[in-house]
Amino acid sequence: MEYEDKAGRPSKPPSPKQNVRKNLDFEPLSTTALILEDRPANLPAKPAEEAQKHRQQYEEMVVQAKKRELKEAQRRKKQLEERCRVEESIGNAVLTWNNEILPNWETMWCSRKVRDLWWQGIPPSVRGKVWSLAIGNELNITHELFDICLARAKERWRSLSTGGSELENEDAGFSAADREASLELIKLDISRTFPNLCIFQQGGPYHDMLHSILGAYTCYRPDVGYVQGMSFIAAVLILNLDTADAFIAFSNLLNKPCQMAFFRVDHGLMLTYFAAFEVFFEENLPKLFAHFKKNNLTPDIYLIDWIFTLYSKSLPLDLACRIWDVFCRDGEEFLFRTALGILKLFEDILTKMDFIHMAQFLTRLPEDLPAEELFASIATIQMQSRNKKWAQVLTALQKDSREMEKGSPALRH
Amino acid sequence: MAKQYDVLFRLLLIGDSGVGKTCLLCRFTDNEFHSSHISTIGVDFKMKTIEVDGIKVRIQIWDTAGQERYQTITKQYYRRAQGIFLVYDISSERSYQHIMKWVSDVDEYAPEGVQKILIGNKADEEQKRQVGREQGQQLAKEYGMDFYETSACTNLNIKESFTRLTELVLQAHRKELEGLRTRASNELALAELEEEEGKPEGPANSSKSCWC
Repeated sequence: MEYEDKAGRPSKPPSPKQNVRKNLDFEPLSTTALILEDRPANLPAKPAEEAQKHRQQYEEMVVQAKKRELKEAQRRKKQLEERCRVEESIGNAVLTWNNEILPNWETMWCSRKVRDLWWQGIPPSVRGKVWSLAIGNELNITHELFDICLARAKERWRSLSTGGSELENEDAGFSAADREASLELIKLDISRTFPNLCIFQQGGPYHDMLHSILGAYTCYRPDVGYVQGMSFIAAVLILNLDTADAFIAFSNLLNKPCQMAFFRVDHGLMLTYFAAFEVFFEENLPKLFAHFKKNNLTPDIYLIDWIFTLYSKSLPLDLACRIWDVFCRDGEEFLFRTALGILKLFEDILTKMDFIHMAQFLTRLPEDLPAEELFASIATIQMQSRNKKWAQVLTALQKDSREMEKGSPALRH
Repeated sequence: MAKQYDVLFRLLLIGDSGVGKTCLLCRFTDNEFHSSHISTIGVDFKMKTIEVDGIKVRIQIWDTAGQERYQTITKQYYRRAQGIFLVYDISSERSYQHIMKWVSDVDEYAPEGVQKILIGNKADEEQKRQVGREQGQQLAKEYGMDFYETSACTNLNIKESFTRLTELVLQAHRKELEGLRTRASNELALAELEEEEGKPEGPANSSKSCWC
């Protein structure tokens, strides 16, 4: 390296003051000049001994500075290498996804190799495609249907802004006032969706897309309508897919049982989900579970935000996308597994906190939450309780709660 | 070690979406104001210790999501509160009209003796005003509440309203506080006390268990 080369030949005898500077090759920015210049004539000359000492001190400083500089250069080089390595592995992964996996989706998607690659995160350039495939289109929504819903939404916005009377009365039970409130809420919420990214807000490049998807959805599913939290989900999809495809993924995603339960705020069913979560919580983290119980910290307090927005509001966006990667593959179970992974990652901190500190911590997770550590933590979470899998536990609890509702004597536990 | 606080209790912020509940809270606890806040989903938490009449009060503040759909969830939190802020936006007639509905929910779900206060927020937006100050006063009088017009943006009446609600809660629990003065060592956690009492799952369930 150039540095070592130069440092390795202090051959020429140092001495005459003027030469010292040239000889050093390398000059720390600030102090050089002052120390090595001749003393101003109006000051008494330094004794030779002192001058020698100062020169020595100065040279030591230079050596130190050079060392630091070298270290910094090495650090930067390592960083660059690391970045190249990551980029190369992403590049390789993109090739694998594009050339091997996507063309053979049906046969390959559940193979061991693909699963491993999947867990490491889907490269952003193929992410949208993979999400679409993994979420599927059970609802058979076409681009045309999206256009129809969007056109209808636009009509409503227009009639709303002109203050015109209602054009249609087909959605019985959903009053004009409700609908108006919902359209206004969409507007308000768009301005409050990832505000720091400044891309979804009025005038931003993705504002209209987000508005379109949410508006079209309220026409597609007037029975569900717009519910806070949806804007975050739609926004994440928009970042990875075209508008119509984002709408298809959005509608299908919300149609999954867990999302339907939450967005329709089916409170009984939500409680069942929380109860199932607690079964696995106690199984995986008994100490923390007891601590939460003691402090009356119920899962709704932190899970509602996490589940409604699929972690997109509570985790850094790139990390949230990695959670979505696996969620699209493994389904709702992974949302709850992630929650347990987060709790486990911070178990030591949480066990030292009281109710309010825990609640604050969990509703505002650290911004620098490390991705690899979180995934390592999630990997250790067992989604099996007494030989029962998530779905089985959930079904059993659902049956229990239905029987309780019927007034049967069968009680939980 | 000095006690961190004498009394602990919970306050709740409710009101329509976008009236500025989170902004009020941020102004109070962190003295910050951001015009574009992220929406609150479910419930958010803040905490602050203030001194009222020489008593160190630690208040936990629960900031709830405003959309109607979420009320099934947020109602569950009413019974855990000792004081409630009902917030509307002076530039939104609708948010003011909805206060009646919010009040009736509070009557149904909050514990008896919960202290309430009415807040007309965004008082700085005079040019957009849809709800007159007298209307706010009138409504507050009807329900026997104190009333403040506030602005998180200009920091108007924020500290005053939080302090007032704190005083009201303290007054309502004077008896327990007397106990505190005599056994000077312990702090009083009103929040936890009420929780113990409220354990049997709330009105919906008790009626269900009756008919079987």
